[in-house]
Amino acid sequence: MHNPYLPYPVRIAMIRVETEDKNLRTFKFEFLNPGDEEKFAYLPGQFAELSVPGQGEIPIGIASSPTEKGSVLFTVNRVGQVSTFMHCMKEGDIMGLRGPLGHPYPLDTLKGKDILIIAGGFAVTTLRSTIVWMLQPENRPKYGKITFVYGARTPGLLLYKEEWSDWQKRDDIDVHVTVDREAPGWTGRVGFVPAITKEVCPPPKNTAAIICGPPVMIKFTQPVLEEAGYSTDDIIMSLENRMKCGLGICGRCNVGPEYVCKDGPVFTLTQLNQLPKEY
Amino acid sequence: MAEYTVKDKLSFLKAAAGSGRRLLAPSSKDGRVRLAEVTPDRVAFDYLNTHLSPKDAFFPQTEKMLAFHKDAAKPGAFVYQPLGLDKIQPTVVFGLRPCDARGLAVCDRVFQNDRFTDPYWKTKYEGAVKIGLACQAPGPNCFCTAVGGSPFGEDGLDVLAFTKGEGLGLKTLTPAGDEFLKGLSGLESGGAAGEMDGLKKAAESRLPGPLDLAKAQAAPVMEIYNQPHWKETADRCLNCGTCTFFCPTCHCFDIQDEENERGGVRMRNWDTCMSWLYTIHGSGHNPRPTKTERVRQRFMHKLKYIPLKQGGACGCVGCGRCVQHCPVNIDIRAVAVDMSK
Ligand SMILES: Cc1cc2nc3c(=O)[nH]c(=O)nc-3n(C[C@H](O)[C@H](O)[C@H](O)COP(=O)(O)OP(=O)(O)OC[C@H]3O[C@@H](n4cnc5c(N)ncnc54)[C@H](O)[C@@H]3O)c2cc1C
Ligand code: SF4
Ligand code: SF4
Ligand code: FES
Repeated sequence: MHNPYLPYPVRIAMIRVETEDKNLRTFKFEFLNPGDEEKFAYLPGQFAELSVPGQGEIPIGIASSPTEKGSVLFTVNRVGQVSTFMHCMKEGDIMGLRGPLGHPYPLDTLKGKDILIIAGGFAVTTLRSTIVWMLQPENRPKYGKITFVYGARTPGLLLYKEEWSDWQKRDDIDVHVTVDREAPGWTGRVGFVPAITKEVCPPPKNTAAIICGPPVMIKFTQPVLEEAGYSTDDIIMSLENRMKCGLGICGRCNVGPEYVCKDGPVFTLTQLNQLPKEY
Repeated sequence: MAEYTVKDKLSFLKAAAGSGRRLLAPSSKDGRVRLAEVTPDRVAFDYLNTHLSPKDAFFPQTEKMLAFHKDAAKPGAFVYQPLGLDKIQPTVVFGLRPCDARGLAVCDRVFQNDRFTDPYWKTKYEGAVKIGLACQAPGPNCFCTAVGGSPFGEDGLDVLAFTKGEGLGLKTLTPAGDEFLKGLSGLESGGAAGEMDGLKKAAESRLPGPLDLAKAQAAPVMEIYNQPHWKETADRCLNCGTCTFFCPTCHCFDIQDEENERGGVRMRNWDTCMSWLYTIHGSGHNPRPTKTERVRQRFMHKLKYIPLKQGGACGCVGCGRCVQHCPVNIDIRAVAVDMSK
């Protein structure tokens, strides 16, 4: 019988400090056992439990795309017990990976649409996965125009600089990276995510928006999209709640009748409007 | 399915204990009846229900799930391995009350949901033959009939038994129940079902009529969620968690790691949604910051969310334990009435 509590053993293949405040590190994992990578078949938007023996587990969105074979990427903010311990681990250390968990973004129902992707702060993780996946030659023709708005407080807090700098050079994605205020050496956009969204968002007809960010960004971006005429069915978000099992069993993460881990974490705004705001 | 009678309870229990399965049954210890591994002569019959719900038999209050070692000289250092799953003993549980059996069936649909199966639960739950003992004299706190159950209810059982003088009447309900009774000696065929119908009607007539949950169950979630009565109930509640501890359908757990210099274990422990720690994020943000949200969560879960997710099945099976043990007399029946106004 499959044991969904048993993590796949992985080795930390690479650790990269992502931000100037050093609070975010990206971990690249390689599976110890041949065959486990195939079993861990995931899609953008799903998450996993990072399992540190003796410390515990944390649910973290998968930042790599399944098209990036050979390893899996996660970017971890230093918060409490497990994440702080992980920030002290070294390349080569052994830990565990349990998943994939949750549902991916609705990549199939998004086919044929223009896509607006809005990210704030380090919530960009699963959106990195989504963009890398959509830009693959075999996937790109399935979608219309892709617009990416990404903001952080300062340039030093932006993740994945190498990736989005490359995307800026392409002509099949519009990339708008912004910081809250002017900063030395920054030549890109300045302004908050909701304002940039208002300026660059494509017409709502046949466009779907995926938004991930801190609560205040979501609070001010949602009205911008609604004013622009986006239907609540076309506004897609990913929730976070405290979790343990990730399987819809331990009861920890429910929002009304839905378990964020098993039934989410991806929901449309239409769905969220019918649920308590317990997240 | 088949019906049987036995003349003598003790010889039936001896046969069950000799079947090669471990016998779990109600027995008295320190003045309280609990479900435990016992010898047939110690099995209690004069109890309204076990003090604690029987969930512990399938979902222990604390359970080690995985273990790892740190010895780099041996293979598999820092790699978790499963614990306990190969040591599950085949069991026969005798004396489950029908409300509790129905409660375990509610848990079963969580532990084996539409996407995942919990092997720690499944091996124990499905590895047990479950023999219920009908309530011929229901207690003052019982209200199974108010929430769709019966003192002779059959949900979640393999066999339903009732006392018949010094003996028992038995009715099998599943192939597992059939199989188990077929293998026991001393059973006479027939003579149970007819009598059972009469006893069932008599016992049901002594219990309350159905609660009107139709409105609460038909209304949108947010309509019930935004009702004004939640704060009044919450004002009295101490968030002590007694109700969730006793409840046969409360299945929440925490997962914790423990380690020493040689290795460690990952275990799960019963938890309670009545605690403010239950939902708090690492950032300090708490989606259920006050007692009102937490009290509402418990009752919404039982009476609204579980029915929504389990095809109408009520998440409260009317065992009465939370009503009996709540230090401030919060009564789920009164909350159900408020929800249906
Ligand atoms: C679907 C999902 C995706 C996420 N993706 C990311 C990501 O890509 N990068 C990132 O840095 N963070 C992410 N988080 C948040 C991350 O899980 C928490 O910051 C982390 O669990 C904190 O654990 P800790 O042990 O360091 O903190 P502590 O406060 O010591 O937490 C102890 C335990 O509480 C639980 N917990 C506490 N806060 C949270 C929380 N916000 N969400 C879930 N469980 C929590 C965990 O079980 C944790 O082990 C995500 C959360 C969810 C639910
Ligand atoms: S037993 Fe009563 S006081 Fe304690 S948490 Fe439950 S409802 Fe509240
Ligand atoms: S809610 Fe109370 S009465 Fe209902 S099943 Fe749980 S403990 Fe029993
Ligand atoms: S984390 Fe256990 S139910 Fe969602």
